[in-house]
Amino acid sequence: MFGIKEQQLDWNSGTSKTITFIVTKDCQLACKYCYLVGKNEKERMPWEVAKSAIDYVLDNENDPDFATEGVIWDFIGGEPFLEIDLIDQICDYIKSELFRRNHHWFNSYRFSFSTNGINYDNEKVQRFIEKNKTHLSIGITIDGTRRKHDLNRVYKGTEKGSYDDVVRNIPLWLKQFPNASTKVTISSADIPYISESVLHLFELGIGQVNINCVFEDVWADGDDILFEDQLVKLADVIIDRSLYKEFACSFFAEHIGKPMDCKLRNQNWCGSGKMLAVDAVGNFYPCTRFAQYSLRDKEAWIIGNIHDGIDKNKLRPFLTLDRCTQSNPECIDCEVAEGCAWCQGENYDAAKTHTVFQRATAICKMHKARVRANNYYWNKLYRKLELEGKREEFEKTHPNVKPEIC
Amino acid sequence: MKPYLQYLVILLDDTSVAYCHANNPLTKRNLMPIDTLKKAILFGMKQNLMIQYVYPDYELPAEYNEVIESIDHVKIGKDVQVLNEVPKAVITDNLVLRLTIADFIAHQYDLAALLPQVKRLNICLTDMESFTDAQQENYKKALAALNAVLANLYKSQQQPQVNILTDRLTLTEMHNCEAGIGNITVAPNGKFYLCPAFYYDEKMGISNRMNHKAKDASRSIGDLDNGLEIPNKHLLYLDHAPLCRICDAYHCNRCIWLNDRLTWDSNTPSHQQCVIAHLERNAARDLQQQLKEAGLQAGDEIKEINYLDPFDVKETW
Ligand code: SF4
Ligand code: SF4
Ligand code: SF4
Repeated sequence: MFGIKEQQLDWNSGTSKTITFIVTKDCQLACKYCYLVGKNEKERMPWEVAKSAIDYVLDNENDPDFATEGVIWDFIGGEPFLEIDLIDQICDYIKSELFRRNHHWFNSYRFSFSTNGINYDNEKVQRFIEKNKTHLSIGITIDGTRRKHDLNRVYKGTEKGSYDDVVRNIPLWLKQFPNASTKVTISSADIPYISESVLHLFELGIGQVNINCVFEDVWADGDDILFEDQLVKLADVIIDRSLYKEFACSFFAEHIGKPMDCKLRNQNWCGSGKMLAVDAVGNFYPCTRFAQYSLRDKEAWIIGNIHDGIDKNKLRPFLTLDRCTQSNPECIDCEVAEGCAWCQGENYDAAKTHTVFQRATAICKMHKARVRANNYYWNKLYRKLELEGKREEFEKTHPNVKPEIC
Repeated sequence: MKPYLQYLVILLDDTSVAYCHANNPLTKRNLMPIDTLKKAILFGMKQNLMIQYVYPDYELPAEYNEVIESIDHVKIGKDVQVLNEVPKAVITDNLVLRLTIADFIAHQYDLAALLPQVKRLNICLTDMESFTDAQQENYKKALAALNAVLANLYKSQQQPQVNILTDRLTLTEMHNCEAGIGNITVAPNGKFYLCPAFYYDEKMGISNRMNHKAKDASRSIGDLDNGLEIPNKHLLYLDHAPLCRICDAYHCNRCIWLNDRLTWDSNTPSHQQCVIAHLERNAARDLQQQLKEAGLQAGDEIKEINYLDPFDVKETW
């Protein structure tokens, strides 16, 4: 058994740079909620492109944008493990270059993957994991119970669900990464299955379930009420069965649902612009959501390429964004604003003009419903703990849910 | 006070003279139909807007003149002379000079020689996007050359205005171009645009980077029949421009067209725009000190700062 190498670095705190390789736009699945509107089998990243991107980043070690303490080399697709040979070559090259250059990221790096899990037990993938285990984090996406998972996560060209092929690999994954978490995305049709799905993931042994509603404008009338009911149901089971001692679901987070001050709490939610994504032809993006295959109504926000480098002007809007400038007055005055998230890419895609300064609020009623259920959860839980005289103990030991950013 | 709509710019023809940063690439005459002109004037009257006609370089048909004269106005290209090179002498005392940065630097002494002849000189740089950090020193020197002449003129009670140097002396808050919020443009097609540059872009098929399959590629913001409709209008105001709202280069045009081209966000300026405006701001500071030393009034003190691009000090806000 081995875990992710934990270093002094807090990988989510902004002290590390995330560099994402869109290694392929192909995937075995055609998930119904997938935001990647332009997926295809053709665009695979050639090795030369990957190498040039790495060289560009490492050559610019002294650029303030690359001066972070650490780096996360992130691989996404499509399904990244379809390109395991390329990924292996990329990671070997990164390691040898960090060493050769005596780069400040040497030993302050991580390789990170979001996979559908289907190929997880593949021999090459396993060899790769063994080789890089001390610098690795892998998230497998599983949506919950078979019926919930197979509702959306179906094979391309057929309606066959992928549940069995993923669940088969969960024990191996958890053996290798006992602290692993999974990420679940909720769309309108998924609401009735939320409670059973989260509980199922706990049963599979996944300690932390990160879950969020899609940011797109997909919500039907009454979805918020159904959603709230589901979360209250889930809260009851978690509390009544004392599951909170070992498991955490990111829907329930103590800090959310409070008003926010524009002076003291004005930072942007997402890290776009501080990250860098590169696609198969060598174009750079502020985040993968700005690549053409992720966008419905806007053109790609290309900030440069491996030949000419980054056009810093194209990053300026991202690096000067703050919460209140992009929010409408209702959000600024909102009494439950804390924890209400947005995705810069969706903001851009849904905006009336070419801007990242128009916050999309399709998620509004869902956040409000979440806050109500969340309040219920903490009130019920703390009352129980107080009656049992265990509140203090819980506060010291319970798993801490960090807000998931993207 | 927040800017409010005060000016209506009427482009009489597609070939009307370019008077700001954007060059006019349209070469084929396309005169605004006289009924459209009448509608535009009516719109201006009802909205209480000051009309600014922008003229082409040919004589308009006689019937236009009567309509044009039916309302108080300014004639850009006539009352305000617009030139694309430095003239030997001027015929109006209110002059717009549209120059490349290289020309501005190369002709700094010719420009200085013009100063005693004008009341107001608006310098408008036409290639700000290609300004490099290597040009900073030369731009600074050229501004200093104009300053030297200006200081002497001011000492002898002559007070010509040069937008990029003297405007900053008297300003105590931002005074930018205000396209879309202080002024709007109506083109020969009867549609509104934030400024003429957006009309040129539309005619040249320059993308608004909306996905054209799904969205209209037009840059217009309404028309004379249906009125104005400016999407995301609030983003044009200073309070929604994170860099500009903390900046004190009050004279800067804060050109939203250039923002849109270089940073892709109309409320975010480019490095080039900020550096140019700060070199001017700092030159205005030098001029202010020269005038103060000579015992002249020269406005509130412009502070010494150690940056040329507010973006570089954003961590300290
Ligand atoms: S989207 Fe709705 S819930 Fe979220 S901050 Fe705005 S008003 Fe509040
Ligand atoms: S936006 Fe304003 S400053 Fe820029 S070209 Fe148009 S009128 Fe000129
Ligand atoms: S100098 Fe830059 S930040 Fe200042 S007003 Fe001009 S464009 Fe805005």
